[in-house]
Amino acid sequence: MLLELNHIYKWVQSGGQKIFLLKDINLKVEEGEFISIMGPSGSGKSTLLNIIGMLDVFNEGEYNFLEDSVHNLKEKHRSNLYKQYIGFVFQAYHLLDELTVYENLEMPLLYKKYSSSERKALVADMLDKFNIVGKQNLFPSQLSGGQQQLVGIARALISNPKLILADEPTGNLNSKQGEEIMEIFKELNKEGVTIIQVTHSEKNAAYASRTINLLDGRQV
Amino acid sequence: MFKNHIKIAWRGLKMDKMFSALNILGLSIGLTIAILLFSFISFEKSFDKQYKSYSDIYRVLVNTTGDAFDKEIMATAPAAVAPALKEELSAVKYAARMLQHSFGETAFIKANNNNFIEKRLFWCDQELFSIFDTKFIKGDPASAITRPNTVVLSKSAAEKYFGTIDPMGKTIKVDDKTELEVTGVFEDFAKNSTIDCNLIASFSSTYFSKEPSWSNSSFETYVQLKDNASKVASENQMQQILDKNVDKQGQWYTLSLQPLSEVHLYSKDYTSTYTSRIGSISEIKNLSFLALLILLIACVNYMNLMTARSQKRAKDVGINKTLGASSKSLVGRFYAETGLLTLIALCIGVVLSIAIIPIFNTITGASIDYKFLMAPSFIIGVCIVWLVTTLVAGSYPAFYLSGFSPSAILKSANRTVSNAVIRKALVVFQFTASVVLIVGVLVVYQQLEFMKNKDLGYKPQNVIAVSTAAIKTYNKKQALANEVKKLSSVIEVGSAQGFPGMDVSGRSLHKNDQDENGKNIQTNVADASVLEVLQLKLLAGKTLPSVKQEGDTLVDVVLNKKAITYLGLTPEEAIGKKVDMQLGDNATIIGVVDDFNFESLHKPIGAYAFHNSRFEGKPYLLVRFNSASVANTMRQLESAYNKVATDSSFDYTFLDKNMEQLYEQDRKTAKVGLLFCLLAIFVACLGLFGLAAFTAEQRKKEIGVRKVLGASVLGITQMLSADFLKLIAVSIIIAFPVAYIIMQKWLETFAFRISIGWLVFFVAGMCAVIIALITVSFQAIKAATANPIKSLRTE
Repeated sequence: MLLELNHIYKWVQSGGQKIFLLKDINLKVEEGEFISIMGPSGSGKSTLLNIIGMLDVFNEGEYNFLEDSVHNLKEKHRSNLYKQYIGFVFQAYHLLDELTVYENLEMPLLYKKYSSSERKALVADMLDKFNIVGKQNLFPSQLSGGQQQLVGIARALISNPKLILADEPTGNLNSKQGEEIMEIFKELNKEGVTIIQVTHSEKNAAYASRTINLLDGRQV
Repeated sequence: MFKNHIKIAWRGLKMDKMFSALNILGLSIGLTIAILLFSFISFEKSFDKQYKSYSDIYRVLVNTTGDAFDKEIMATAPAAVAPALKEELSAVKYAARMLQHSFGETAFIKANNNNFIEKRLFWCDQELFSIFDTKFIKGDPASAITRPNTVVLSKSAAEKYFGTIDPMGKTIKVDDKTELEVTGVFEDFAKNSTIDCNLIASFSSTYFSKEPSWSNSSFETYVQLKDNASKVASENQMQQILDKNVDKQGQWYTLSLQPLSEVHLYSKDYTSTYTSRIGSISEIKNLSFLALLILLIACVNYMNLMTARSQKRAKDVGINKTLGASSKSLVGRFYAETGLLTLIALCIGVVLSIAIIPIFNTITGASIDYKFLMAPSFIIGVCIVWLVTTLVAGSYPAFYLSGFSPSAILKSANRTVSNAVIRKALVVFQFTASVVLIVGVLVVYQQLEFMKNKDLGYKPQNVIAVSTAAIKTYNKKQALANEVKKLSSVIEVGSAQGFPGMDVSGRSLHKNDQDENGKNIQTNVADASVLEVLQLKLLAGKTLPSVKQEGDTLVDVVLNKKAITYLGLTPEEAIGKKVDMQLGDNATIIGVVDDFNFESLHKPIGAYAFHNSRFEGKPYLLVRFNSASVANTMRQLESAYNKVATDSSFDYTFLDKNMEQLYEQDRKTAKVGLLFCLLAIFVACLGLFGLAAFTAEQRKKEIGVRKVLGASVLGITQMLSADFLKLIAVSIIIAFPVAYIIMQKWLETFAFRISIGWLVFFVAGMCAVIIALITVSFQAIKAATANPIKSLRTE
């Protein structure tokens, strides 16, 4: 088992009232799964994804990731955990504008203090795998949306995470580009990477092996 | 990692060109000023350090006791002091006296059949060269000026007087009287040396070496103590030596030692030093404060502009954190970015400073040269400035921005910016400083104008003082006066010992025998027409008689009102009374003139007397001329002079120009102040511009909504500008009392001063508001005219 959420609640205070963003979420994810989270706007999809990614905190409940109890961990350990095991893919790609494709891919490795030769090898592998060797010296602004998302995925994968979290990865793409990205996710999943994606589209959700539906913060 | 930080920073700079330009511009200005001021301060602090015995050299100070001299401290000592110290004080290794020619007058030199004017001829003891190790190009420092009537020249003086001819063994003639043999040539004294002689003649040539007295305190005296000798012990022994040589009643002073390290910067209030290079520690402190203030304003500016881009930064920080960046590495990254920017600014600053140094030298009167910029101490200093600027300017972005939470980027809502208060405070700080500077500059200018236009009690305009020191006989002087009187453009001619604006002989005025201390009075030997030339107002009696019989022991005195008020008399009562003012028993008051400002307006008017005793000579011809053709008058005067005085050059002073010289320091302050003020305001505007851009970006959506709801461009511009005006108003309210207190303190250094009016504050306030409005409205209009669809679509 990769991770487990038990009775997760998250709320915010507004005018003396608790407004629940998430109510009693229970979720078990095994390694190698491909999960879609669906639901209308404001149903808590992104909040749930952020909690799984340890970027956000919850108010009540238990969260176990591998052997660690996330709810008991200090901020610093938590961030070490996600840095080690989780890769993020964003709707708006969030590439670093000042860096080339090559350098964007290299960035996570720099933070993880890989040696220069290791970095070179890993980045070359990734460029090769996604067929973007010819684009390695271009800046994000010189790429199409689909190509940018490709780089985003490659960057999320480069430090070999156990889990990829994707927040509407095709939201800013046209249908053809979106399909290509989903195909890549499918391939990756086959290779053994666990993927959790948030999506609005039934069609994209269908790529996953399991779908979780949310409404007003509750699982339905 | 570090390489990567720099790479990102560099590309970031290139991407956002306007922000980078604003940032670099602001920092460059701040750093240029810091570099200039830093070099000025190091130059001033480097004075005299080149001398090997620096720490063992002292100047003898004469601390006057009693009220007559107002406890003034003189930098010159009696001629008997140096030999006595050498003889009787075992700690003294060397001692030397320096006397500027005729107590500080111009010397007329004839060399190689040409006439020259020399302002820096000194008569000195030979040991001067041992104390201040002087490099001789020709001749032997140990013996060059031991004999009477010998002189050594600086290298540049030798070139001026003799050109390519070898000056050794040649003769020069001083004031058409004394012949001196050239026995050496020395390397010019460095620009940061207090000793600044061009010609050094042997002290043994002077009358004072034969009968050194303990009373005439006119000789700048330097001693070098032996290694490890104590200053305090030496000073105690000096008192004993004084007691031995001068009886208690004749002691109107005590002696003390001033270390050479203090001579340049801490002697501003000491009188009668001969050096033309006098620094001021308070000036250095004020300038340092101003420079730091401007650098701080520039740093604040940087912080403001950096955080103004926090929207984009928040995203960057978020992405990097999800990619595994720690806060520490982000702090490093922001510091790298600041460091790179300040480094670029520093390079521009260094180049600008080098370009500005000549202008800066003229304004401040310093002589910093380019070689100085290569000195290790300067380079280390600049590195320190760079580091400090980076740390200060980078601190806020580094810690504020790196603290952003990574989830921020996953939320689409605008970050609410909690640090708005700090940013506003930064702008208020900048503008407060600017307004204080504007008020300061206005007040300084008003005071300078006031001094220029003040009725001084006499008219220095169109009066010229021609030096006649080189003309030997009375008849020749008379001939010159007659010649000048004949000129059509000349109105009146008189001869005198000196003129208002220059020191004449100090004596003390006594009410009666019981009045032991008396009052310090300036006494000026003059002839009948001097009152007319200066256009002084006669209150009672008459001017000095035009003819004085040979052997007449009666001394006629014309006093100013201050003097007779001290005596307790009215002008009418005073006429015909005898007066005790060290001019013999027969000094009689024959006239009273109204008070006039014979010193700078920094000082209150003191007692002044014109008299016709024979104690002093009258080396100046004062000429009042018609202002119609100054150039023509000068030509006529010169030719008249050359007809009478064939062996010396024509040297003259305009009285009004000379008065203006007294305010040189004040004008320097005003100029530097104005420069700093303009730059500070400019830099502050850059900050305000940044903040306005930031606010406009932040409120983009709000502006879009308002426009969709029907707000006009004008309405939105007003709304955005009003917020900033509030900040400016706060700055003004803080700045006014601060400026008032500072400027009041400055004005107190003048005995005659303006009072600070409300107009100054009104003008300063309006300046700040108008400048701020122009800066802000640019951004406000841009935001207001933007298409609302664009700003609303981003959601």
